[in-house]
Amino acid sequence: MSVEVARGRFAIFRDQYAELMRSAFLVDLQYRASIAIWLIWGITEPIISLGIWWSIAATGAVEGYTREAFARYFFGVALVNQATLSWDAWNIDRWIREGEMNYRLTRPIAPIHEAVADNIAYKGPTAAIILTAWIIAAAFWPAVRVPFEPGRWTLALIAIVLAAAIRFLNGYATGLLAFWTTRATALVELQFGISLFLSGRIAPLSLLPPQVVEVAQYLWFPYVVSFPVEILTGDVATFEQYARGFAGQLVWLAIWMSLYLIVWKRGRRHYGAVGG
Amino acid sequence: MPNAIVATELSKTYDVKVRDPGIKGALGALVHPRYRQVRAVDNVSFEIERGEAVAFLGPNGAGKTTTLKMLTGLLFPSSGRAHAAGFDPWTGGNAFRQRIAFVLGNKQQLLWDLPPEETFRLNRAIYGVPNAEYVKRRAELVELLGLGNLIDKPARQLSLGERMKCELAAALLHRPEVLFLDEPTLGLDLEAQQTIRSFLGEYRTRHGATILLTSHYMADVTALTSRVLIINRGRLLYNGELSELVARIAPIKRIELVLSVPVPRSVLEAYGTVAHYAPPRATLEVPREFATAASTRLLSELDVADLSIQDPPIEEVIRIAFGEGDAASIQEVPEESSEEASALVRTDARRAPQ
Amino acid sequence: MRRVRRTLIVLRAFWQLNWLEELQYRGNFIASLLGTVFWLGMAMLTVALYFRHTEKLGGWEYWDVVVLLGIFNALAGVVESVLRPGIGHLPTDVRSGALDLVLVRPVDAQFYVSFRRLDVWRLADVVLGLALAGYAVAQTGRSISAWELLAFVVTFAVAIAVVYSIWVSLMSLAFWFVAVENMSALFDAVFEAARYPVSAYPGALRFLFVYLIPIAWTTTIPASALTGRLNPALAMWAMAIGVAALCASRLLWRIALKRYTSAGG
Repeated sequence: MSVEVARGRFAIFRDQYAELMRSAFLVDLQYRASIAIWLIWGITEPIISLGIWWSIAATGAVEGYTREAFARYFFGVALVNQATLSWDAWNIDRWIREGEMNYRLTRPIAPIHEAVADNIAYKGPTAAIILTAWIIAAAFWPAVRVPFEPGRWTLALIAIVLAAAIRFLNGYATGLLAFWTTRATALVELQFGISLFLSGRIAPLSLLPPQVVEVAQYLWFPYVVSFPVEILTGDVATFEQYARGFAGQLVWLAIWMSLYLIVWKRGRRHYGAVGG
Repeated sequence: MPNAIVATELSKTYDVKVRDPGIKGALGALVHPRYRQVRAVDNVSFEIERGEAVAFLGPNGAGKTTTLKMLTGLLFPSSGRAHAAGFDPWTGGNAFRQRIAFVLGNKQQLLWDLPPEETFRLNRAIYGVPNAEYVKRRAELVELLGLGNLIDKPARQLSLGERMKCELAAALLHRPEVLFLDEPTLGLDLEAQQTIRSFLGEYRTRHGATILLTSHYMADVTALTSRVLIINRGRLLYNGELSELVARIAPIKRIELVLSVPVPRSVLEAYGTVAHYAPPRATLEVPREFATAASTRLLSELDVADLSIQDPPIEEVIRIAFGEGDAASIQEVPEESSEEASALVRTDARRAPQ
Repeated sequence: MRRVRRTLIVLRAFWQLNWLEELQYRGNFIASLLGTVFWLGMAMLTVALYFRHTEKLGGWEYWDVVVLLGIFNALAGVVESVLRPGIGHLPTDVRSGALDLVLVRPVDAQFYVSFRRLDVWRLADVVLGLALAGYAVAQTGRSISAWELLAFVVTFAVAIAVVYSIWVSLMSLAFWFVAVENMSALFDAVFEAARYPVSAYPGALRFLFVYLIPIAWTTTIPASALTGRLNPALAMWAMAIGVAALCASRLLWRIALKRYTSAGG
């Protein structure tokens, strides 16, 4: 492919994404009240967890976590969770059941791109809202303050983007199982439940039984919430920790990307054989 | 390939699980699953030239939509070959999709919460239409379809007919070579139906697009196309001119009468078979070759206010031709139309928890 | 009185149809049961995790907290089987115009909307939750007196009444905010706080979940009855709150409905 053609193709691609994100954003704007409610729903989990741990840590630090450390941690969880959560499985399931997959399959762009654009259009602004709330809270509440370290924050941003990609591909690929079964969303819910623990959403990973943490290291869960949060809170400090974390993220990104491609190809073929 | 659409011995077979009712049947199906083969499309072959408009007729479940899905690359054939817009639809990829448009009458593609204008913009980008071209084409489509004041209102506020017109416009911005339409005028009011029919005709004249449409409305067929494909139970029963079918199968003509002075039924029976009798109107059926003679006699011997000679309705023709009561359902609402009602109730579990 | 009787007759017919429909979806039952068991398991693991690092949660010991968890699950079962399919469906009905069909009928709209649809399979959640609570009570080693059992039944009924009132109030808002599709998500968000005893929350949160949104009471009070923490005064308060909640939500409903019908729908 010549440079000209490649550049042309890229321009079209960029154009497609720009418009897809714009449409998604405009639709989100229409649903802003509903989105506000989803935001509230999303932060209650870390708030309640924080409340409980705050009480538990009243008499002293828990495994090295003081009350303030818990506060920073769960604010981080609220932010990272908002930036990485995945709902696409429900859309895919609905589209296949109601025949709305068909027109997505007859236009010259793979359906996943619409989902990626949708995710970016949603998560960008809502994560920014959480971040703003954090900044405002930090003005009044010293406990949630995080030292100003632009290098660390940049690394945290990279980790969050990678985490969002992993969680998105994980949710999307699992959602594509809807080509074969009506229980694909149940599988996503199952993973959602497990990730409460293994992603560190209910508690920092170091508070879990060591055997559980060991198992978690072999899965992608710690890399989608816990790792980015711990960069923000400063629990990831040594080069080795950074390296292992990012390596894990890249490996799981590759794995879920491959799984997506496999499931997509197979699923598409299955759909072509038996219809929706 | 000079032909825009070619189906060569297309077949699509499904394996359907057979299960006896009740608990015993359910257990039995788990242990020893039995299958039955359903031939949704059975050895269908036809060719459509560039720029032709062809209608696909048939009762519910006849295989029309399945055939269309094979031609648009949604399904792949169990056997045989499909060819459209210069590609094999299943393997054609984005280059193929760039050249076609598939509009379904009961499943909309417009963004529901936004004005159709936004869908136009999105399609412009998705299909890579250059800006200058986009502006021209959009203007033409807006004018031909009379969309003026519609494109700024959210799609959910538009009537079914208005939405369908916008759907068509959105689907044609990229000037597809082949246009596949599945029940495009389904459930629309008369004005919208007529607008769309004349629009499609005009569009085809101007841009030479090939049109394959399925429909239950005879008016779609007679207004838009000259050639019909009739399919039933997966098999192609007829492929040719509509007028020929009518002439071949039912060599009768209908004489529609409006009488100034009503006469008893028995009087009319002297001229031909009385199909309908509701004074002052009546419909007579006479053999083709005698139609003119009979009309002359009627005009001179009775007090006739109005008289017209017509072909019998297509449903009649098909019922006679293929002997199955199924043809009656051609005018009925097809199986997926309940989706139409649910499109009005946009319950959207949009952001399920995760 | 005749109105109530007529409503009950209509409802019974609906429930019979409902039941016949649901029988066809036995697979759904297994699926939802498995789901409930799974989430209950996750909740138990969460409590176990907390108690790995502490002896008491807000003064409550491990099995006391599990009692509360069982009650939470039972209450959630009531929400899933009665409230969400019933009154939770209101925003959809308002948007689609189906509510108008209800309003022309000679039944009380609130009563009708609240109970016409049941997800019978989810009643299993209620049974499961109560069973877990019972098991946990046995594990605490305390014996329950008849009075305490009565107090539990009464306060559990009050909890259902309060939760119902919250749903009615939220859904009444659907008349004003027609475009909001996920009102029920607000309930889900806040209800999560009822998983743990009120005393487990630090000051600010306690204020929020106790006084501003009285959701924490719905599980803490019945659980208190079973764990020897309930005094008669508190029980009286609970009943008063229950009645007040029902009346307040009914009032809000009537205002909302009046506005809806007078505005032409």
